[in-house]
Amino acid sequence: MEEKVNISIDFAGIRLGNPVFTASGTCGYADELSDFMDVSSLGGFITKSITAKPRQGNATPRIVETDSGMLNAIGWANIGLDAFVEEKLPALEKLSCAVFVNIAGETIDEYVAVAERLASSDAVAGLELNISCPNVELGGISFGTDPSQVAAVTSAVKNVVGDKILMVKLPPAVTDVSVIAQVAVDTGANALSLVNTFTAMVIDIETRKPILANATGGLSGPAIKPIAVYLVNKVYNEVTKSLGIPILGMGGIRTVSDAVEFIIAGASAVAVGTANFVEPGCAVKIIDGIKGYCASKNILNIKELVGSLEVN
Amino acid sequence: MSEKCSAAKRGVYWATVCGNKQIGERFYRLGLEFSGAGAEAFAKIGAGQFAQLDLSETALPPADKIPDELADAAERKILLRRPFSFVDVTTKHNKTSVDILYCVIGPGSLRMTSLSAKDTVSVIGPLGNGFWVPDGKKTALLVSGGMGAGPLQHLAKILTADFRDINVTAFAGAKTVEELPFERQLDEISQQLGFWLREFARYGVESLVATDDGSSGFAGPVTDCLLEWLGKSDSACESMVIYSCGPEAMLARVAKIAKEKNIDCQVSMERRMACGIGICQSCAVECKTDRPGESIYKMCCTDGPVFNSKTIVFHS
Repeated sequence: MEEKVNISIDFAGIRLGNPVFTASGTCGYADELSDFMDVSSLGGFITKSITAKPRQGNATPRIVETDSGMLNAIGWANIGLDAFVEEKLPALEKLSCAVFVNIAGETIDEYVAVAERLASSDAVAGLELNISCPNVELGGISFGTDPSQVAAVTSAVKNVVGDKILMVKLPPAVTDVSVIAQVAVDTGANALSLVNTFTAMVIDIETRKPILANATGGLSGPAIKPIAVYLVNKVYNEVTKSLGIPILGMGGIRTVSDAVEFIIAGASAVAVGTANFVEPGCAVKIIDGIKGYCASKNILNIKELVGSLEVN
Repeated sequence: MSEKCSAAKRGVYWATVCGNKQIGERFYRLGLEFSGAGAEAFAKIGAGQFAQLDLSETALPPADKIPDELADAAERKILLRRPFSFVDVTTKHNKTSVDILYCVIGPGSLRMTSLSAKDTVSVIGPLGNGFWVPDGKKTALLVSGGMGAGPLQHLAKILTADFRDINVTAFAGAKTVEELPFERQLDEISQQLGFWLREFARYGVESLVATDDGSSGFAGPVTDCLLEWLGKSDSACESMVIYSCGPEAMLARVAKIAKEKNIDCQVSMERRMACGIGICQSCAVECKTDRPGESIYKMCCTDGPVFNSKTIVFHS
């Protein structure tokens, strides 16, 4: 039965061998993971955030563990566009999975400059627009929480990406995520990824100071999974289902059943994030597990499972 | 070891617990054994390299074994792996045994105390870059604070086995005698001969003890003990190398002494880290560049944890 199950998917016009990605910021530039997994066996790979110039990132501590989760405030530490194109893209081009580059910026012009250069690369299947990072002073979430800014940055980037997939990564902590999702889709997004991390804080009660040097950080890990499943389902029902726009669902996925939940909620594909830190390579196990789940439920094509939530 | 010793083949390996001995109120020594690919990967691990242990599924010790001050921390469910360096590594019959010296300080190390023989633990490693031996050195000074004594014992073993023309002396500091992570100090006669600690004496390495409160050995910071020793030494500074591991404030003082006396110095840095393999970018260490006044962040896990002390920007 299992060999008959088709878990390949159509994702905004490209064919992916399976619906499992690794999430931006949790899998580096791919070379770091090569000792632990065959990155090519993924459906898709998403780089850490790339900015026009190299960024050193925030002071330490940059992370703190919480109950069933962690906060991070890395601050877009990355080697910058030029070094990324020269040093990292050639290796990414050799991967047989779809490669997405997460792009970030402090201004719309910066997003556009990064997007334009990357859109000309054959190695890149698409771009993930980071308008939801909670850990930088300028840019990031400040774009993603204001519908007019979402429209401005999405349409500006759309103009320069040609036929590459433009996936917009949504912030979870907004009054209505569907409003932001609708604006992103209306202004050019052909895929959505959600959720990014939730802005959060941990306090050291001895010093009465935040533990993170950045004071706040983004909460990720199993702690956020039920909220993420809910938000994916909400955006699926209210925005993407009728338009056929795929959702890349993420937030605390570390097991097969976590991934299946997101797909039932409406995600066409799923991304493994924080779990990569604990069990690098777990994404590959999830691919096999999804196939096994489908077989056990007599599902021959994974698309039957997408959005198959039955509400009482 | 003249080059930085980097990990051979990093991977996720299962180890079997072969011992977990309490050696002080809060100190334990955990023995892990690898076979197969894990044995091969860890056989050549250098002093100062480390591994990430998954303790998330390890049970808490019984309530009456949990110290009052950790009762609150014990309630926390842990997610991330915990990084540890090694106090000893031995290979025998295609198996590699590694010992980890640890102090019970939070929910992870508390769980670790309940590991017992035959339990299995998932270990990612070997990770990072360990201590290295620059050319032309005749004297190695191992300076530790508290738990920093672990990897320096491993280093003492390697130096005395593979670099026999190097004289090794260890300095172990702590706030009080109770906070020295050693089983038992040697008797007075040995101490008079310069051998305070059995863990270093077993390699023929002289060792001195310093406690801030004077409860054992030199009364004062271990860095003052080092300074006093250097004052009496007639060795040429260029023939010496200092290896240090411990709290960052101590490392900063050691680095300052090394700079003033123009002695090569390597420090093992510690940072909160999530992955240990270079992807999370959590464990940033501020390092100087060749340009005056300029600094960049390097990763403790993949660029370190051992760095040349001259490159570190200390804030403490």
